[in-house]
Amino acid sequence: MRRKAGLILLALAVFFTALSPLLRWYAFPRLAKIPANQYQDMVLEAKDATLLDYGTMQARKVPEVTIVQTLKGNVEESEKIEKTAGRDVVVWDGLSYVVGPDGKMVSKIPERYIFDAHTQEPVHATGEMVDGDPVKRQGIEFKWPFLTEKRDYQYFDAQARVTAPIHYKGTQNFRGVDVYYFEQTIPWTKVRFPRTMPVEGITPESVAKTGTTRWYTTVRKFWVEPLTGAPVYGEEIHKEELRGGTLLGGRDKVTAFAGHVKMREDYIESTVDLVKSNRTLLLLLTSYLPWGFLALGLLLLALSLYLEARGRRPGDPEPTKDSEPEPVTA
Amino acid sequence: MRALIAAATGLAVALALVFTITALGSPAGETSPKPLLTTVPAHP
Repeated sequence: MRRKAGLILLALAVFFTALSPLLRWYAFPRLAKIPANQYQDMVLEAKDATLLDYGTMQARKVPEVTIVQTLKGNVEESEKIEKTAGRDVVVWDGLSYVVGPDGKMVSKIPERYIFDAHTQEPVHATGEMVDGDPVKRQGIEFKWPFLTEKRDYQYFDAQARVTAPIHYKGTQNFRGVDVYYFEQTIPWTKVRFPRTMPVEGITPESVAKTGTTRWYTTVRKFWVEPLTGAPVYGEEIHKEELRGGTLLGGRDKVTAFAGHVKMREDYIESTVDLVKSNRTLLLLLTSYLPWGFLALGLLLLALSLYLEARGRRPGDPEPTKDSEPEPVTA
Repeated sequence: MRALIAAATGLAVALALVFTITALGSPAGETSPKPLLTTVPAHP
């Protein structure tokens, strides 16, 4: 009976010990994924910003410019792309909708971002775009990979349609969460006019005819929770100018937008709460369960060895093997 | 010999469990019916 219990304990010990690395290195990369149907919205504000009045073509100070950013997982498209990509893919249809202090639209930029559900690597497929222009992203956008490292990453800038390094600048504590701080500077770059302009009748083509060009620079800052790779907070020091051409009435340049864009307080709180709860789930797979199972496995192994040792009393003869009776010869 | 069989059984069950869980994965669900926002939401 004691030997039987020892064998059961041994089987359980091997079971739990084997589960420990299997969970961490086999199950985690396959189970930790961005859900294909995720829907997320975010509100950012730029207080005391500068905004171009397209009626007078004069820059003016405004109390607030609001950016509403929505990301919506497109499940049907992700399933289509998965058939050829051979891996789990997430398709995010996004919209950055900028609202002036009067509640009117300043700009709206739709985009489609396609990426690997676990590694966050971009996946290239038909439909990948920014404001209707096909793009081939390199690097990450919006989110970092699970288990973010203390290093620079390549980050895609949707305005300039370029990928540039976003630098790791240190570890900080943001509202009780240990985060990695990243910063990217996009120098003054000539960018396209949005397809949808804030004034009816004005199109990017009609503006292009005047010879006026649009330029943009930004300093992008992200505070990223490293286990989930999710930014818990973000800021941007964003400037846009119109330069040259006949549209500016002889002026060299005029500010189209300048502002320090920050996440709205209620969205910061909800993001921090969400990231904290997702972090706990990931910790289960990367730490709590693997270490717990390993400890349990070793404990059960020790117990089974103990039972085995007690089962073999000193001086006991070795158990004889059962053997078939030999035939007796007459 | 019996110890070896017990250990192999434990390992096989662990492998089977992890392979099954990862093969099942999680359902993709459906695309959210909520729209891409063009108004400022009052709260998250």
